[in-house]
Amino acid sequence: MRGKVAIIGVGMIPFGELFEMGLEEMVQQAYINCLNSVDKGISTKDIKAAWFGQWSGGGMIGQGALCGASLATMIGNREIPITRTENGCPTGSDAFRNACLGVASGVYDVVLAMGAEKMRDKPGVESLIAAGGGGGGILGLHPSWMLGMGGPVLQALYATRQMHELGYTMEDYARVAVKNHHNGVACPYAHYRFEVTMERVLNSPIVCWPLHLLDCCPQTDGAACAIVCRADIAKSFTDKPVYVLGSNTGLDHKNMWDKHSFVEMLSTVRAARGAFEMAGIKPDDVDFAEIHDCFTNTELMNLEDIGFCKKGEAANLLREGYWNRDGAKPINPSGGLKAHGHPIAATGIGQICENYWQLREEVEPERQVKLKNGIALSHNVGGDAFGVSCVTILSRSL
Amino acid sequence: MVQPAPASPLFWRFNPEIYQRMGMKCSDCGHITYPRRKICPECGSFNVKEHQLSKTGKVHTFCINWTPPPNLEPPIVNVIVDLDGGGRYQGLITEVANPEDVTIGTKVEMVLRKVMTDRGLNIYGYKFRLVEEG
Ligand SMILES: [Zn+2]
Repeated sequence: MRGKVAIIGVGMIPFGELFEMGLEEMVQQAYINCLNSVDKGISTKDIKAAWFGQWSGGGMIGQGALCGASLATMIGNREIPITRTENGCPTGSDAFRNACLGVASGVYDVVLAMGAEKMRDKPGVESLIAAGGGGGGILGLHPSWMLGMGGPVLQALYATRQMHELGYTMEDYARVAVKNHHNGVACPYAHYRFEVTMERVLNSPIVCWPLHLLDCCPQTDGAACAIVCRADIAKSFTDKPVYVLGSNTGLDHKNMWDKHSFVEMLSTVRAARGAFEMAGIKPDDVDFAEIHDCFTNTELMNLEDIGFCKKGEAANLLREGYWNRDGAKPINPSGGLKAHGHPIAATGIGQICENYWQLREEVEPERQVKLKNGIALSHNVGGDAFGVSCVTILSRSL
Repeated sequence: MVQPAPASPLFWRFNPEIYQRMGMKCSDCGHITYPRRKICPECGSFNVKEHQLSKTGKVHTFCINWTPPPNLEPPIVNVIVDLDGGGRYQGLITEVANPEDVTIGTKVEMVLRKVMTDRGLNIYGYKFRLVEEG
């Protein structure tokens, strides 16, 4: 990135089924936690602009569309420009990316990126339909093309093909759930803090063959935010800033039938390629990563598409413990979407919070990953037919 | 999610795509897709022409959906089909007694079926039926 950007504070609330909290309270708590996290203190007046990641646009909470004024009201600051960002499951990461661009452009010194989502105010089925499991799922298309589609279907169509082309098995998929649940147990912010065994995953009900219930991430409420500033003033806020080396969005077709492959997502490939180029590093330089395991098979695909291993190798490496929290390249030490939860717009910024804490070695000792280069990556993929991906690369040094 | 009414412009506009299976082929990169459009989504070329999609093909990938949206009886089989003559099509399998009969490479053909009902009106579209070998 040409203009250097640093994170000086992050804030998150524990993800979960937060029936006792509305969207506003979640946002306010994350914001307060974020301000309090700035080591040398910060005034709300220092923040000169904000980006509000919000995916459902009120569809989940029975309100009208949310906008910049929504966040302005929630944080009690109507003096700054605020833009709402929506870009599928990478919404939070893309709000963060735009916040970084606001600083990198030289227009603002200090800005805020907020992501928040209320998924569980609606009952289960309604919540899933609002999240894209709709009967007609139209978006300008004829219903006969979209009949019976939804999140699990989209991923199951990939999972079947991964089994066919790469030899992956349902056991390989279950192993991702076992790993990420194990990581989630130690994370105080995770939605699911319980272990699962292979047997439990494989005996859970089939949602959409080949995916079981425990191959799917939950519907989760949550909020997360980060404050970024010009790298050259970061030390006035903290002695341990974390730098943003690269942040990129990559795209692919929004219709499944246009995809070149069902074992690779070009959105992720493009997002990662651009982010690595911006950062001037290679996949091998990354110590650990938070990646988008909305379904277990997706994690394996992402690892390959980001470039952490060759296509078809991710499952073997998982079996060898390579991606474990104490392995060569820990993946989803927070528990990932699978255990930490997936409050859509909060997910990406939540990953950034986790990477910030891990790079500053501030997490619980049992889940602190070993740092070598002090570089972390986070990744989301989603939107229509998983056509949108964001990759963010953070580092302890510039 | 908002459903368009059967009498809406969207349904009228898509008549050729649904009932004549009219798609698009790019003269520059060869990409075949639907619905018809002015710009190739694969390469950005404006050099595109109408292309009649085939009724037959082979299953490229599939899943067996035990938790379909309301109004659909589980299990349903979602498929992406490689059409003979090029292009892929997304839809549902119909008239299959045993979902396990569907696998990658299974030969299928499109048949016109009611796909949904909206305010008393039937909406028709294509589903895929297994082709008897022999
Ligand atoms: Zn083309």
